Amino acid sequence: MRITPAEIAALALSIRVALLSLVFTFPLGLLVGWLLAKRTFPGKAFLNTLVMCPLVLPPIVSGYLLLILLGRNGLIGGFVYQVFGIEIVFSELAVVIAVSIISFPLLVRGIVTGMESVPLELENAARTLGASPVKVFWTITFPMAYRGVVGGTILGFSKSLGEFGATIMVAGNIPGKTQTMALAIFSAVHLGEDVSVYRLVFISTVVAFVALWLTERFTLR
Amino acid sequence: MTDSPKIRLDFQKNLGSFTLEVNCTLETKVSAFLGPSGSGKSTLLNCISGTLAPDDGEITFGEEVLYASAAKINLPPEKRRFGYVFQEGYLFPHLTVAQNIRYGQPKPRKSSAAIDVLEISEFLQRYPRELSGGQRQRVAIARALAMEPRMLLMDEPLASLDSALKERIIPYLHHVKDTFDIPILYITHAFSEAMALADEAFLIANGTIIANGEPHRLLTAPSAMPIAQLTGVENTLFLPVTASDKARGVTLLEIGSQSLVIPYTDIGIGEIAPVAVRAEDIIISLEPDLPISARNILKGTIQYLNVKSEYTWLSILVEWHHLAVKVTHAARKQLQLQEGSEIYCVIKASAINLLWD
Repeated sequence: MRITPAEIAALALSIRVALLSLVFTFPLGLLVGWLLAKRTFPGKAFLNTLVMCPLVLPPIVSGYLLLILLGRNGLIGGFVYQVFGIEIVFSELAVVIAVSIISFPLLVRGIVTGMESVPLELENAARTLGASPVKVFWTITFPMAYRGVVGGTILGFSKSLGEFGATIMVAGNIPGKTQTMALAIFSAVHLGEDVSVYRLVFISTVVAFVALWLTERFTLR
Repeated sequence: MTDSPKIRLDFQKNLGSFTLEVNCTLETKVSAFLGPSGSGKSTLLNCISGTLAPDDGEITFGEEVLYASAAKINLPPEKRRFGYVFQEGYLFPHLTVAQNIRYGQPKPRKSSAAIDVLEISEFLQRYPRELSGGQRQRVAIARALAMEPRMLLMDEPLASLDSALKERIIPYLHHVKDTFDIPILYITHAFSEAMALADEAFLIANGTIIANGEPHRLLTAPSAMPIAQLTGVENTLFLPVTASDKARGVTLLEIGSQSLVIPYTDIGIGEIAPVAVRAEDIIISLEPDLPISARNILKGTIQYLNVKSEYTWLSILVEWHHLAVKVTHAARKQLQLQEGSEIYCVIKASAINLLWD
């Protein structure tokens, strides 16, 4: 059994999209995670709810809301189309946005858990030793929250790899363009290409298992 | 120490139902704040270090204003350069001892007086979890000194150690005091530590400074009267422990050449126990040999006699401690009590309470 170029394209797209998504979500996740774990401010509960919403919403619903927002007549999509002449929906960018929104809560959850475990007293001790808040973050908070950050990152990354519902709503299922692994499996099942299904399911399972196992390795002592 | 900067504290901080209100000037090399837990000592230190903002008032170090509510000045902790030694140490667990020491150093340098004075060079490469409690606390002190602070703040640095370890660390504190020419603010609930280290002690209770002065003088009865007023107990005594018997449930305190028996406490021998007795819990007798169960019969002299409408107040000198005693007019008349009378104060051991541990 040989893996087909279409299947390779789907796997490559999934990995590329998941990595690209991480480039955007990781810095934002650090900021939001730090705010939620270490700061008190008006609207904190609202921000937390907003970030966590995609975790409880059906991905189809998240995807539909994104479609409205990013479409050519949407608030964001309309603006981008007017200014840059680019259509976001049904593009690789749409896939990146969809998986980012869906994986973000998992990433933030891990970062918040990690940062909450760093005692405020240690951060205050660092301040008294002459460290600015930024230095405290990079030398105390971040290294001590390391396990949670790594855990959240790997979970978020694996979620991105396998995202289905939001992606198909906002990016469609275009082979070679927006067809990720999960979408390719969906198509293969529909077309009755059993062998292809087995291969893709096997690859997906291995990738998910390795990601979860790595998470456990890093988050458990 | 020559022309050391004076530290002026005049501020208040409200934390729920608790208010800390201080107004004092620290002028000596080592100042101790002495008080029971919950008296506001740590809040005070956090306000000085800048990790907690007061609500109102001013904090100055020499000429420099660190905090002023009116001018909206609140220097962040990293700009104050005050070394802070915490009760729990708070060493950074992911850094080695050497990295912990280097963390606050203005310029990286190989040797440091702090490492020598606290004798920690042999475990510089270890992680905090590989150290004993006493070693950890020595590293915490060295870390605070290595940053070359303008002042050293110490929050119960010995409280988490057992008494044998405490005695081993105290010489290091003396060494720090002699080696580094900076003011030290030392917070403790243990009289022995304040007596051993401080040039001036401030008694703090319920968020207020109730007395201050040279520690030994502060601990003799008359000047500690504010504590009594605060607690509603007329007699407060600070007496050294001479013996303790856990099995029999008693501890012996020294009051001049006499002894006072109190219920067992784990305060170490030679340390000072702060005890309180109510004026109405002291019985006056003319005879020392009484067939009674009370454990304490102390010889004393009536110094003053103050006849009030309901009771007669006696001020009795036992050795050099004053005891206030309340008796009825009838008792005064029957015993023919007058100023200068030699009498015996009878006190049940269980009527003597520890002010704090």
